[in-house]
Amino acid sequence: MTESKRFVTTTVEIEGREEIAVVEVPAFEPQPWGKDARLDTVGHAVPRLDAIDKVTGRARYTHDIHFPGMLHARLVRAGIPAGWVTKLDLDRARALSGVRAALTGADLPRIPWLGGEPLFGPAVHYWGQPLAAVAADTEAIARDAVRLARVRYRPASFQVEPPAGKASLRTGHFGVTPPETRREERGDVTAALGRAEVSVTAVYRVPAVVHQALETHGSVVHWDGDHVTVYDSTQGIFRVRRELAEHLGLGQHQVRVVSEYMGGGFGGKNSCGAYTVIAALLSKATGRPVRCIWDRHEECVDAGHRPETEFRVTVAARRDGTLEALDVEATVAMGVDGWPGGPGKIFQELYRCPNVRVVQRFWYGNVSGMESFRAPFHAEGAFALESALDLLAQKLGMDPLALRRRNHSTEDPAKQRPYSSELLTQCWTSVTQRIGWDGARKRRKGSGRFVRGVGIASQIWGAAGGPPAYAVVRLNRDGTALVQTGTQDLGTGARTIFAQIAAEALGLPLKDVRIVVGDTDGGPYTNNSWGSMTTPSVGPAVRMAAEDAKRQLLEVAAELLRVKPDQLEARRGRIAVQGGGGASVTIRKVTEQLGDIMIMGRGHRGPNRSGVTVHSFGAQAAEVEVDRLTGRVRVLRIVAAHDCGRVVNPELAESQLHGGIILGLGYALFERLLSDSQLGRPLNLGLHEYKIPTYADIPEIDARIVSVADTVANHVGAKGLAEPPIIPTAPAIANAVFDAIGVQIRELPLTPARVLAALKTPS
Amino acid sequence: MRIRLTVNGRRQMLDVEPRTSLLEALRDGIGLTGVKLGCDRGECGACTVLARGRPIYSCLALACESQDVPLETIEGLGAEGLHPVQKAFVAADALQCGFCTPGQILSATALLRRVRRPGDAEIARAMSGNLCRCGTYPKIRKAIRAAARKR
Repeated sequence: MTESKRFVTTTVEIEGREEIAVVEVPAFEPQPWGKDARLDTVGHAVPRLDAIDKVTGRARYTHDIHFPGMLHARLVRAGIPAGWVTKLDLDRARALSGVRAALTGADLPRIPWLGGEPLFGPAVHYWGQPLAAVAADTEAIARDAVRLARVRYRPASFQVEPPAGKASLRTGHFGVTPPETRREERGDVTAALGRAEVSVTAVYRVPAVVHQALETHGSVVHWDGDHVTVYDSTQGIFRVRRELAEHLGLGQHQVRVVSEYMGGGFGGKNSCGAYTVIAALLSKATGRPVRCIWDRHEECVDAGHRPETEFRVTVAARRDGTLEALDVEATVAMGVDGWPGGPGKIFQELYRCPNVRVVQRFWYGNVSGMESFRAPFHAEGAFALESALDLLAQKLGMDPLALRRRNHSTEDPAKQRPYSSELLTQCWTSVTQRIGWDGARKRRKGSGRFVRGVGIASQIWGAAGGPPAYAVVRLNRDGTALVQTGTQDLGTGARTIFAQIAAEALGLPLKDVRIVVGDTDGGPYTNNSWGSMTTPSVGPAVRMAAEDAKRQLLEVAAELLRVKPDQLEARRGRIAVQGGGGASVTIRKVTEQLGDIMIMGRGHRGPNRSGVTVHSFGAQAAEVEVDRLTGRVRVLRIVAAHDCGRVVNPELAESQLHGGIILGLGYALFERLLSDSQLGRPLNLGLHEYKIPTYADIPEIDARIVSVADTVANHVGAKGLAEPPIIPTAPAIANAVFDAIGVQIRELPLTPARVLAALKTPS
Repeated sequence: MRIRLTVNGRRQMLDVEPRTSLLEALRDGIGLTGVKLGCDRGECGACTVLARGRPIYSCLALACESQDVPLETIEGLGAEGLHPVQKAFVAADALQCGFCTPGQILSATALLRRVRRPGDAEIARAMSGNLCRCGTYPKIRKAIRAAARKR
């Protein structure tokens, strides 16, 4: 990096996609907080700053925003999976008392939506696609009005799932769309397979699963004169602002997006939704604030999902277990829309293997589009890879843990460069010791009704974060501070940990720091909360802003104390000569001297280092009990060990681990969104028909973080943590079931019917 | 129709339709937005309130049927400083996004009023109607046990 350049290019990985960005080089880089740094606030388990608001019901979510005169919007949705709307009559809906506005495609400006076709356009591509909207005085009246809409269709043929066999993978949603295919190869897989001593081939399938955040997608929008204010349940306030401004033909300065509290995202709330656009247009038409919130059924039909994926995997190895080749073909059922990520990427990254071939097909069909879902593509790929490894271990007569250890990679096998830090072997040791691996694997299964087994799986995830992320720290005259950054807190605890980082860097107690997030008018640009990027991206920006403010503060203090600024340090609200003994002054005294001359610190995230890979690692082991009579799988215990660099708040980090594990448990055992291939519509809408885990399903969970600060990654020392824990959970459970019953089930979820069918298979 | 609700010890008159759910009446009529709507069909528990001290799904109750039933919402529980169950939730980090939290706390409070020292099976049975997607169940269990020990 050239010192004199102010802008350079850097590579940022977001959920497996790499983007080259031009970024601003920071004016200064704070010294990294090393693993032995003496820290007063960072690394401490302080309670969430918003915990009181959340336990008292005072926290105001998008659903809770209310204005006098506010209208409620509901949508008319397609009742066929494919075809054209030939007639859409809202006259009876408009005539209903209490209905204030109705919009069809004819009333809208042309807003490019699905595949560039207009929003509310006549072409239907999936059951439940939005066709029109009404706004009424109450939600109930709006629902009544929607029922009065008369829609006629000309139906077309459709397909909701990929046809069997490769030859016919041609049906798409807009006429005939060939599947997109990406092919990547390292080494020479065909040659390696030809000379392999041992190999296994199997097909693995994972289902479509729905995020099911408890707060459904939605916005409240007020179009007031030249300004549009949006309250939105979103993971990206700035992205919603940009996209909405583009859709409406407004400047970004005319749009403000607020997401103070949001009831869960999990990857499904990353862009500007139809609800936001529709609420805005209805607000413009009526001059009143409009609330448009998806109901639980709409959440299942039109809010995205993790895509159904099929993996054909061949693993070849030497007799001692050394991997020679990984050959994977993945077919992803995207639905109408989505981003083609990397279901094969984990095969390229997790283990040392010289020959890896990945063919990825993205098939488009007539169900709503996929969306990112916590560790998109990696959670799917991990099930296939980690299951295939256990199949190989069985064939080799080798312990699955020993097989993994044999193929451990100490450097990034995909890019062939070093890791900033890597503790995967420590993770394996930690989980296998705690689960009692050796004893449990050797245990005789017996022939009784209940059998137990243990399984292990590993995880890798791009966790560098990166620019752009900005923060501002303002000192008040009473020595308290305000931190402003344009990120948002999905429930992860981002609000709390950034306040901790600012307090640490300023030398102030946490109680004297206030932080504002989730408001595009309240803080500078920061990217979406996705890809486990927020802590390693925004953390350094917040720290730099606080260090910038502190530098100015110390200059003033040096004047007062008649010493040089670099002799001073700030801790716990006091500025003193380093090493103690000299004169000291409180921060408050200094800011009071300044009066209303304000100290403002500005910080941003610098570029990522080149030539090094920053990944998070982890391992989980599961113990299960299988009922051979009913086929029911009960998870008894999950132990987890993760490497994510520095932990800013251990209590909140543990909560993140629990969250990933429990989502992974639902993926393993119950969850799947079913579509009827004849009717072309989803079948199990709502939380009764679509089961998510609850108390009785939760095993004993012992989740720990084994890492310390990664000073190569960034000067805070943190790597990403939010997505990693979901990745190994389902394969660890599946491998434990394999251990218990001796037959591998190759499709999630592990339902009783599948277990019973597997038990009937001669092994 | 005009009805009378007794919420958090206060009597309130409001106009509703016969079809208005108790959830809508509490949220839209009285402004008690700590009562959350997650599914509107008795599946998730985010709308839990206490009726005569027992947890109910307010989305499945009609407002007009709830007259003369003493109701308690999260806003009433913490009216005079944090309730011990609320304190236990904060201490155990038994919340993430917080959307299900009011319902969880009310179900936990009802359980602890009924059972002095609930075991894990009793907690699972009493709480399984309150879904959480963030995965706070282990810490809610911990908070309930801590709140039980403290009294």
